[in-house]
Amino acid sequence: MAVRFELIMFNETVINEINGIRKKYPDRRSALLPSLYIAQREFGWLSLKAMSCVAKALNLPEADVRGTASFYSMFKHNPVGRNVIQLCTNVSCMILGAEKLVDFLKSKYGVHPNGTSEDGRFSLVIMECIGACGTAPAMLVNTDFHDELSESRIEEILEKYK
Amino acid sequence: MITLTINNKEISLEQPMTVLEASRQAGIKIPTLCYFEALKPYGGCRLCVVEVERMPRLQTACTLMVADGMVIQTESDTISEVRRGILEFLLINHPLDCPYCDKAGECELQDLVNKYGPAVGRHKEEKRKVPESHKDQILARNMERCVACTRCVRMCSDVQGASAISMMGRGNDTRMEPFSADSFNCEYCGNCLTVCPVGAILSRLYLHSFRPWQVDREVDTVCSYCGVGCSLTVQVRDDSIKRVIPKEGKGLNKGLLCSRGRFGYEYIGSDDRLTTPLVRKNGKLEPATWTEALEIVADKLQGIRKESGGVSIAGIASPRCSNEDNYLFQKFMRMTCGTNNIDSISRTGYGAAQKYFEDLLGQGITSNLIDGLKNSEAIVVLGGDPTSINPILGLSIREAARRGAQIAVIGNAKGLERFKTLQITAPVFEEAAVLESLLAQVFASKGERGEHAFLDRGIADMAAGTSTVSDVKGLDDLKKILLESPSTSIVFGTDLVQRSDGHRSLFAVSGLTYLLEARLYLLSEKANEQGVIDAGCVPDMLPGGRPLHIEDFKKKFEMLWKDSLPDFKGKTLMEIIEGARTGDIKALYIMGENPVFNLPDAKYVKEALDSLDFLVVQDIFLSETAELADVVLPALGWAERTGTVTNLERRIQVQKKAVETSAGMEDWRIISEISGKMGYKMEYKDSEDIMDELAQVSPLYRDLTYKEIDRGKSIWPYHGEPLRGAEISEIPAGEEVQSGNGADYYLAVDRPLFHSGTLSRRSPALTKIMPEPVLRISAASAEKLGLTDGDRVNVTTSAGSSETVVVVDDSITDNRVYMGNNFKDRGACRLLNFRLDSVTKAPGIEGCGVTIEKR
Repeated sequence: MAVRFELIMFNETVINEINGIRKKYPDRRSALLPSLYIAQREFGWLSLKAMSCVAKALNLPEADVRGTASFYSMFKHNPVGRNVIQLCTNVSCMILGAEKLVDFLKSKYGVHPNGTSEDGRFSLVIMECIGACGTAPAMLVNTDFHDELSESRIEEILEKYK
Repeated sequence: MITLTINNKEISLEQPMTVLEASRQAGIKIPTLCYFEALKPYGGCRLCVVEVERMPRLQTACTLMVADGMVIQTESDTISEVRRGILEFLLINHPLDCPYCDKAGECELQDLVNKYGPAVGRHKEEKRKVPESHKDQILARNMERCVACTRCVRMCSDVQGASAISMMGRGNDTRMEPFSADSFNCEYCGNCLTVCPVGAILSRLYLHSFRPWQVDREVDTVCSYCGVGCSLTVQVRDDSIKRVIPKEGKGLNKGLLCSRGRFGYEYIGSDDRLTTPLVRKNGKLEPATWTEALEIVADKLQGIRKESGGVSIAGIASPRCSNEDNYLFQKFMRMTCGTNNIDSISRTGYGAAQKYFEDLLGQGITSNLIDGLKNSEAIVVLGGDPTSINPILGLSIREAARRGAQIAVIGNAKGLERFKTLQITAPVFEEAAVLESLLAQVFASKGERGEHAFLDRGIADMAAGTSTVSDVKGLDDLKKILLESPSTSIVFGTDLVQRSDGHRSLFAVSGLTYLLEARLYLLSEKANEQGVIDAGCVPDMLPGGRPLHIEDFKKKFEMLWKDSLPDFKGKTLMEIIEGARTGDIKALYIMGENPVFNLPDAKYVKEALDSLDFLVVQDIFLSETAELADVVLPALGWAERTGTVTNLERRIQVQKKAVETSAGMEDWRIISEISGKMGYKMEYKDSEDIMDELAQVSPLYRDLTYKEIDRGKSIWPYHGEPLRGAEISEIPAGEEVQSGNGADYYLAVDRPLFHSGTLSRRSPALTKIMPEPVLRISAASAEKLGLTDGDRVNVTTSAGSSETVVVVDDSITDNRVYMGNNFKDRGACRLLNFRLDSVTKAPGIEGCGVTIEKR
């Protein structure tokens, strides 16, 4: 028996945006990744409901949508904070103290790797190289790029993200 | 011609194919895991690697096409080592829990490891731990055992077309999951069970209840549910059915099954089965001996025949019973009881449509092979959802869509949502007008076909009198598709027959079939709807579709049956019920049918049956109708007896006996016993004996034997008998009728995928999948009524009210609401009124305006 989720829906602007993307490709399936990005932007993370919306908008099977979404690490499958910090701890960043920065984020903002601070302000994801080895350590906050990090610089940067 | 060498054996091929296929054809075995014949090659498991001369690396045989002059080795030390390596990798995570796993004994991985090793794994790391998921009622999912061959996912999307499961995650975490991650919420075809090579997907119907090698016997038989007639194998242990499985590539279903066929067998072993004859004593049904019960039936029928004549006796046959049962039943009615009042539930849909089509277009017009559907370039689906009424036929439509066919749906067909090109919604009660308009438009472009003058004339007359229905979206597009398509199929569901102007729809569809030279398929809900007609269980036709009013046929049968046939015009199904109400019919013999539940307006039907002097019901359960009977006779069910059934292609197949039971008697045996007591001898050894007689008297089956049927020589037109041409030379005219009564919502009888009639409600697996009736309703209607999924509502018509659960369905586009007729006291038919179609005598649904209130 089909179980429907309580209605969460894309608004008309988003539907139009997805339809615009659809037109770029000969195949509906090709529009899936960009549409999933939109869903993530709209709902913050990809809940079953959100993926269901994408499936409906593209007339694709729900399981296919989740199968694709679950393959990629850039899609969030759990609720995240208002701002997502993606901090690199790969070789260059690690040598220049990235791991200390993780501890700093923990103590100062109460946010653990793969976790969210209690006030819902930040989520932290530890990620591999983001190509800023020359100016390590580096991180992304949402889609903004920041490098040459230190504890004080992080404090300064995060002030802007409420 | 392609010549290649495999293992030093020279092989010549007419057709290009893969190396794997070529090897198998030559009897050379190559091990595989991700390969499955019905699926596209995948090349994932790498077990089928072979050495090809002049190719630097090992090649996967399943994806490599043959080329002229290829020299191939399928076994060598290198290959064995590679295979052993691959298996060792698979066993990093696959648990060694074979002693506990249901799949042991028929596990492909077990067999492969047994053959290629390794005996010991070198990996010290922990195995992946995933608890077995029992969140689904039917399917258990054990992802520790999954080897990620993706056969289930490919089966689900590429063949079944349900796309309910997918590979989730990646790397070590890869696993098959349904969208919801717990319950499958799918079509429950169970075809993923068939293809899983290991014990990763298991059926909970028999989890840990037996081992594959402990099966006492296996019987290849035919499904008992719908009119497709899928081949399946019943595995029996201790005289109970352990499981039902398809045989790979076998039968017209080619190894596929649907939910009802695979999981719906449990009703046979139900505790509710009738075990002894029942006789009404002092107003109560009491157990009786066979002798007593049969004596009473014989005496009563004899008495009523003597007193009021055969005219006052009637019989209702069953599309659940075999050809042999039905043949004997009508012979008993006509010869022993002296009546032509004989019909079946088929009259309400399939039978009515079939007769109309054959009268106009000739016998066999609907007898087309299901397999041919997938080659059609345009398919028009109307009057029902083929993917739920005849699921395996529905798969052919999906296959056609994948091949690029245009699929036009008129009405609602949920299962074709992702496959249709076009949907047309005809307003309630205006379906016929829309179809007539379509026919008129096609006629305007195509003109007369010139084969049957009376049909051309009929179409022209109709077109002249039809005003174009302009406000129906999509009609022009459909016309264009039909005119451009070189091969069209029409799949006709019987909902359109259940209108008091149903004959108009039938004419329009006949006209389209004729003008477009289309193949016509008639959906059939029950296993033997065609057979019940061909066996002669209709008032006006003898076995083989021979009209009773033609003196030659009558004489021939009188000679064969050694007595005279009754002379009067018999009553059709609803006329029999009406006759019972008015007292014209005094005795009614019902074999395997439940009119109180299955006919519209239960109150009226019940009242009619209550006014009978004598009612006999022969069934496997104490149905709503049996509860009213004077005598109830327990029959044998599917898998308990042998008999033939005729599917909607008119293919005859044998349903074989698989289990022994002591309770009931075969339907035909009960009838012959009673007949003997009434003085008309019927002596048959077994059902084969009856088939021999049927094959002798019915020109349709001339000389057809069980042996031939078993060899698959039972496809229409069996022995190439010349087809009967169009039976009439004038289009039957009906009364002008009905329009909507301005209701906000209209109730339509739904035919759910998980239930069929009332047998399925005794199958625990199916009631687990769908435990109670639901009301399918469009999103727009739900919004207007303030309803969401799972809301409990009362559905009320002028005839009554029923409680049900709302399911919002995006495939519904109008103000119809759909409810099935399967659950006790909660069927849809009960809520409907009817008016007879004056031509087909099928009950046209009326009084279907409903109000829906939240409880």
